[in-house]
Amino acid sequence: MTPAQEAGAVALGSTSGAGITDDSVSGAGRAAGRAAGRAAGRAAGQDDAPLPAQPEYAARARGLRKLFGRTVAVDSVDLDVPAGAVLGVLGPNGSGKTTVIRMLLGLCRPTAGEVQLLGRRMPEQAGEALPLVGALVEGPGFHPFLSGRENLLRAAAFEPAVPTALMPAVVDDALARVGLAGAARRAYRGYSLGMKQRLGLAAALLVPRDLVVLDEPTNGLDPAGTREVRRIIGELHRAGSTVLVSSHLLSEVEATCTHVAVLQSGVVIAQGELAGLLEGDHPVLEVITTDPDLALRTLRAAGVPARTCRGGIEAELLGTTAPTVIATLVRAGVEVSEARRRRTGLEELFAALTEDGAQ
Amino acid sequence: MTAGGTMLAGRTSAPTGRLLRNELRWVFRRPRTIIALLLLAGLPVAIGVGVVISGGPPSGANESLVAQVAGNGLVLPVAALSSALFLLLPLVVSMSAADALAGESAHGTLRGLLLAPLGRVRLVGVKAFGVLAVATTAVALICVAGVATGLLVVGVDGDGVLTLSGTSVPLLPSLWRVLLAAAWTIVQLSAIGAVALAVSSVTEHPLVVLAVTVGGLIMIGVLSLIPALDWLQPVLLPTGWTAIADTLRDPLPWDTLLSSSYRAACYLLIGLSLTTARMVTRDA
Repeated sequence: MTPAQEAGAVALGSTSGAGITDDSVSGAGRAAGRAAGRAAGRAAGQDDAPLPAQPEYAARARGLRKLFGRTVAVDSVDLDVPAGAVLGVLGPNGSGKTTVIRMLLGLCRPTAGEVQLLGRRMPEQAGEALPLVGALVEGPGFHPFLSGRENLLRAAAFEPAVPTALMPAVVDDALARVGLAGAARRAYRGYSLGMKQRLGLAAALLVPRDLVVLDEPTNGLDPAGTREVRRIIGELHRAGSTVLVSSHLLSEVEATCTHVAVLQSGVVIAQGELAGLLEGDHPVLEVITTDPDLALRTLRAAGVPARTCRGGIEAELLGTTAPTVIATLVRAGVEVSEARRRRTGLEELFAALTEDGAQ
Repeated sequence: MTAGGTMLAGRTSAPTGRLLRNELRWVFRRPRTIIALLLLAGLPVAIGVGVVISGGPPSGANESLVAQVAGNGLVLPVAALSSALFLLLPLVVSMSAADALAGESAHGTLRGLLLAPLGRVRLVGVKAFGVLAVATTAVALICVAGVATGLLVVGVDGDGVLTLSGTSVPLLPSLWRVLLAAAWTIVQLSAIGAVALAVSSVTEHPLVVLAVTVGGLIMIGVLSLIPALDWLQPVLLPTGWTAIADTLRDPLPWDTLLSSSYRAACYLLIGLSLTTARMVTRDA
């Protein structure tokens, strides 16, 4: 490691070395502890705070509502972002994902409801919470006449946590982390969509953060860029940061998130641990058989919804269990060569949830 | 050394000096700022050369400052400031104010500043500083180019500079008069900058800021030509703008210079208050 690289790595708490990873984990832990301490002090002093600060949540929202003129962009959104989680906010375009994120970050004031970010009330205490938060919201915002590096230097100058002497090292390290080191000195106006997105990501990752908020981070990225975003999210997660990612791409959320919240028309229609939500959907039993017609007739007679598929049938396990279905089929003389419970993909869950909401 | 130790984890705002330096670098790196400033610096050169080529004061010369330039060179910077004050300087200042908030908003960079975080009141302070820096630089460039052109091309009368009152003052004290004119102009431009910033804080289209500020000045010019609207004069900013010629009179008549400065201070206060009030509640 050259001295410059070393300085950058130490400054960023980069996860490339195991020892440094540990440091940044303990750093995040300390910060969380500090947040909890301050929050507890405030809760003791104020009786009227209906939403107590809890260190187990990096961000919380209660009864969030936002009107733009007469348009209801977001309505009665309750959101919990557990500390250390990777929460995917999933929703079709225009479902209010970005508006919720902007309110969480104190960029806009909710019409009703309250927001807590790292134990601080937003937007009133934004100054205390935001130094520990990195965010890429509504696409990257930079000045076209400056180079990527100059844009980041400008961003670093506004970051309270970055010491002036370390600004160049921090910026170069962030550029290297998102794979932009080669194009750092080119004017931003010449960047491709993917490069702009990477620069936005670099700005969010300038400082080790307790919470990183990424609004549609893979927009405009090629498959390699998408993989890199996933890798970065994984690194942040392992380092103990909380990550909030919004996306309309289901595969994206499924690949990176531990928790998910599904938004539709400004309302949260499902929220929880990814695994739990996946189980919550009624599963499907795939039965491979040489006699699908008999199998279908048998199951329909037994009141189990079923349809043919390649190599056999699919039975929906509604009010019944897999052993019962298999026993029914075997008793009716259907040759069952293979049966497996298929876990529904998040895509089906998402489609089901949004379609239900639309009706 | 831990990452938390290297990073100043407890700090909630970046040092003010760093913010201001950063803002200056950003303002003066912008190509349009540089071009506008260079063009402004060319104005006194153009006036000076024009007066010399036309060969002395035009026949039937009125009392205009430009006519006086022919006689002595140190009138040139003041004449250039005076002619730029009515349109060119406000244009440059409102362009800078337009970029300061509306432009940042249009590029999506305002969000970044607020997320850093930069407190919203501090943001107004930093931006006002940037606009003031552009106004000051523009005025300084006109003065420097004006003094240089005046001395080189026009020269001075005998051993002193002839004032508009017909008396003569030595060279150095007359330079102080140029400085006084510059300071007075900067105060007037601050007022325009503050109003432009207020407009800049309610829109995300920089062009709207230019249109409102410059359009407003033109409108005021038209209104002041209507005798029935004379009662409006005391509250209009450009009313006292002819006072810049007073800096070249002997003895100095202070009253209009001061009253126009007070008026500008009121505009400055109102403009900055509106900007702050708007920025504190603005959705970004």
